[in-house]
Amino acid sequence: MKNVRGYNFSRPFFGERVPQHVQNIVIKDFCNKNKLNFLLSATEYSMKESSHIINELVNDIDNLFGIVAYSLFQLPSDKKIRKKILNKILIKRKIIFFACENLQVSNRIEMSKIETLWNIKEVSERINYDRIYKNKI
Amino acid sequence: MSNFLSDYEVKISRQFEDKGFLIKDIEDLHSLNKLRDVLIKNHLKINKIKKNTSTNEEILNSTHKKIRPNNLNQFRLNIINEINKNKDIRVLYYKISKPILDIILGNELSMQSRINLSIQLPMDNSSLLPVHSDVWSGDSPFETVVWLPLVDCYKTKSMFILPPKKYNKIKKIFLEKKFNSSDKIFKKIKKDLIWIDIKFGQVLIFNQCLPHGNVVNKENQTRWSLNCRFKSIFSPYRDKKIGEFFEPITLRKISELAINYSLPKLK
Repeated sequence: MKNVRGYNFSRPFFGERVPQHVQNIVIKDFCNKNKLNFLLSATEYSMKESSHIINELVNDIDNLFGIVAYSLFQLPSDKKIRKKILNKILIKRKIIFFACENLQVSNRIEMSKIETLWNIKEVSERINYDRIYKNKI
Repeated sequence: MSNFLSDYEVKISRQFEDKGFLIKDIEDLHSLNKLRDVLIKNHLKINKIKKNTSTNEEILNSTHKKIRPNNLNQFRLNIINEINKNKDIRVLYYKISKPILDIILGNELSMQSRINLSIQLPMDNSSLLPVHSDVWSGDSPFETVVWLPLVDCYKTKSMFILPPKKYNKIKKIFLEKKFNSSDKIFKKIKKDLIWIDIKFGQVLIFNQCLPHGNVVNKENQTRWSLNCRFKSIFSPYRDKKIGEFFEPITLRKISELAINYSLPKLK
C-alpha cells in the first residue's frame, strides 16, 4: 500500500489563494489517478514563511511512501530551506509529489527541474502583467 | 528600432501580422507521421478496432462510424491521457513546429505540458468552441497556438478566425449592450471570418488574441486536430502558469546561470 500524506496551505502563495477543500479535491484526484492511498492532509501554518508543518511531515515520513503537496510553489521560498527539505526526502528514499503540476521529486534530476521552475517563476512574477496592459485595456 | 531579421523572416512575420495566422508545409514529415501513428494506435486499441486495409487518413476521417457523440468526450479524454503518457509526443510536436516558432516567437520557449486533441464528428454539436479569443479567457497575449491537423480540414470541418483588420469591429461590438452572447457576436462578424483550409502535412500557427472558434461540422468526415501553446519563457504568464500549464523546453545556458545567480554580499 502506497500511503501518502497530503499537504495543503492556509495562506496565499505567489499571490494565489486556493480554498483548502479545493486543494484536497485536487490532491485526492491525483492520488486516485496514481494509485496512491491518500491519508489526511496536513495544513501549513498561515504565518508568513512558516514551513513548520512540511518539516514535521518530512521528519515523520519513514512510514509513508511520500507526501502529496497541492503545489510545488508551496515549498519554502527560501532556497536553502527548500533544498534542505527536498534533500532530506531523497536521503530517506521517499517521494514528494505536486498534484497541481503533476510533478514529483524522487531523484536529483527531478529536484533540479523543480528548482529551475521555481527560479523561472520568481523571475516571471516580477513582470507585472496588469501594468503592461493598464493603458491598453 | 533596428531589425536584423533576414528578408525571409521579415516576410513571414508580416504575413502573420497581416493575416493573423500562417500555414506552412511541414519539413519534418517523419515526426508528423510518427505522431499520427501514436494517435491511431491508441484509437484502434481503445475502440478494439482491427487494422484493415484502410489508410490512416480513412481511419480518422471515418471515426464517426465508430464513436457516438455521447461517448465522444470520454473517448477524446482517454486518447489525450494516453498520448500524453508518451514522452516523445511533445518532442515530435516541437520538432514539427520549430521552423516557424523560431521566426515568430523565439528560441527560448515554454511549451504546454499536455497536448490537446479536438475531434469534431459530422453534425455533432457537443464539442463546439463558440467564438472566443484565448486572451479573453485568461491566456497571456505572449502565447501562440500551434494547430496541427491530422486529416485535411476545410469549410465547417475546420476552424474560423477573424482577420486583424476586422478586430476593431469586435471592440465596437463589445461596447454595444445588445451583443450580450457569443452567438450574437458570431452572427455579427460571420461575413468577415476566414475559414482555414489546411491539409494533413501542413501546420497552422495563429494569433490567439484574435477571435476564433468552430461551428457544427457539416462535412461528411470527422476532424482530428491537435493544438498546443508556446511562449517565450521569460514573457509574462497569466492564468496559465509555469509549472501547472507551461514547462520550459529550451532554456539556454546564460538564462540558467542567470536565474541561479546572486550578487556577492557586502559586510
